Amino acid sequence: MLPAPSDVTRWLAAAGVTPAEVTTTSLGVMARIEAARAADVLSALRDGDGAFDMLVDLFAIDTGVGIDLRYHLRALERNEDLYLAAYVEYDGEAPSSWRCYPAVLFAEREAAEMFGMTFVGHPNPKRLLTTDEVTEPLLRKSTLIRTWEETRRD
Amino acid sequence: MTDDHFRVTREGPIVAEGRREPLLLPRGLRRVPRGIDELATEHLIVNMGPQHPSTHGVLHILLELDGEVVMAAEASLGYLHRGIEKLAESRRHHQVATLLDRADYVSGIHTELAYAMAVEQLMEIEVPEKAHWLRTLMGEINRIASHVLFVGTFGMDTGSMPTFLYTMREREALVDILEEVTGSRMMFNYVRPGGVTGDLPAGITGKLETFLSTVDTYLDEYDVLLRDNEIFGPRTKGVGVIDRATAIAFGMTGAPLRATGVAWDIRRARPYASYAQLDFDVPLASRGDSFDRYVIKCAEIHESLKMIRQLIDGVPEGEHMAKVPKVLRPPAGEVYAAVESPRGELGIHLVSDGTDKPYRMRLRSPAYFNLAVIDEALAGGLIADAVVTLGSLDIILGEIDR
Repeated sequence: MLPAPSDVTRWLAAAGVTPAEVTTTSLGVMARIEAARAADVLSALRDGDGAFDMLVDLFAIDTGVGIDLRYHLRALERNEDLYLAAYVEYDGEAPSSWRCYPAVLFAEREAAEMFGMTFVGHPNPKRLLTTDEVTEPLLRKSTLIRTWEETRRD
Repeated sequence: MTDDHFRVTREGPIVAEGRREPLLLPRGLRRVPRGIDELATEHLIVNMGPQHPSTHGVLHILLELDGEVVMAAEASLGYLHRGIEKLAESRRHHQVATLLDRADYVSGIHTELAYAMAVEQLMEIEVPEKAHWLRTLMGEINRIASHVLFVGTFGMDTGSMPTFLYTMREREALVDILEEVTGSRMMFNYVRPGGVTGDLPAGITGKLETFLSTVDTYLDEYDVLLRDNEIFGPRTKGVGVIDRATAIAFGMTGAPLRATGVAWDIRRARPYASYAQLDFDVPLASRGDSFDRYVIKCAEIHESLKMIRQLIDGVPEGEHMAKVPKVLRPPAGEVYAAVESPRGELGIHLVSDGTDKPYRMRLRSPAYFNLAVIDEALAGGLIADAVVTLGSLDIILGEIDR
């Protein structure tokens, strides 16, 4: 279920990418890449020897100093999962990967609205779960949970 | 020529340069100027939902129609968004299950289980065999209760009201059993990190055996009502076809993926709880249409019954809960735990910072990814088929909106 880190490095090298690090953690094998190259890297991992044909999930984590994206990929035939981590600054941007994995069409919209960032090239970059009246990135740690009374409009 | 004179094609770039942005922006769709020799028809934007009996909750779909034909579809979500992922960050690990029950409210056991597994992975908790057994048993009972609800509502989507009444009979029996074991009919809060809250109460095995002795006849009734019905076949065969490549590209899991011939089932690929000891098949189909998705769900009910029969034949001894601290403080780290819910791969991605609350909890909802394909599945079909296709995807808005 876990690809060999050396294989991950080789697959990424074939795409001309040198990952900052490839680590094996409690999560699995994770490669850290530049967010600006995320779409290229994902294309290479899907079409190259890695053959990661499915994107299981895309989501973000607020680290306190920025946004850490997680791309969860899977090679169904080999039953192997690979995680990619990409750091994006608050209100920063990353390229959309929808042409490679249309599975991100919803997930990118959600990550963008909940964490305050932009996926450049997304074909429908609207908010997904909240209305336009919600201006705060709700899943950032700086956004506090408020009661209904605190948010009601008279 | 005004900007309103457009026709829609499914070739070429999404938006013709200098033209008005289409109201909807599905993939591969663009508007091009009409020729003067072409009959002018007006595209109609129809709001389907959120208050619509066949949208399975509060789903709102914008349909762009050319007469009877759906040209594009866009799901508008969020009507049931409660911020479960945000709220989880302010709850202790034991309290998160109450939130997750309200995500997929039709099969809460599976969501609870995924979360408990994630915490157990982080804390390296050894779960007793009896707890694994109870989790598997309750999970499969919950799966059948969810699948029969699907059969009933899908019957209504295709115009068969009686099926719903018959399936409620089975669901009621199963929900009664779940209530007796867990104390609740839907919001179970039964699976906890380390095990489950209670053992089987006395007499419940007898009730289960009574159900098992009658259910096969009932399932035959479903086949008579739907599968062999001369209206149901034409209404579902070849409708809402999703091919294998599209299903994989959109991250679909569960019956919609297996209906395209991909044998991916977490219970088989990465066994958890007691599934490694059980003998069961993973039903597959090949056409990827609404009929195949229905047939797979029915076959899965039979497989779940097979598993339940194996489970009640071999009740393990021992405790139903491991010895865990009253306040759980998993070490800092990240894990992903996935289960096969009735709708597909349901995963919990848990990030801990070493405190008693999750730092980040991501719920990977299967219906969320299965719904993302809605434009591909509906475009080109008839509006009358939209409800059938949507129903066959078996979505639950609670876990999509979270």
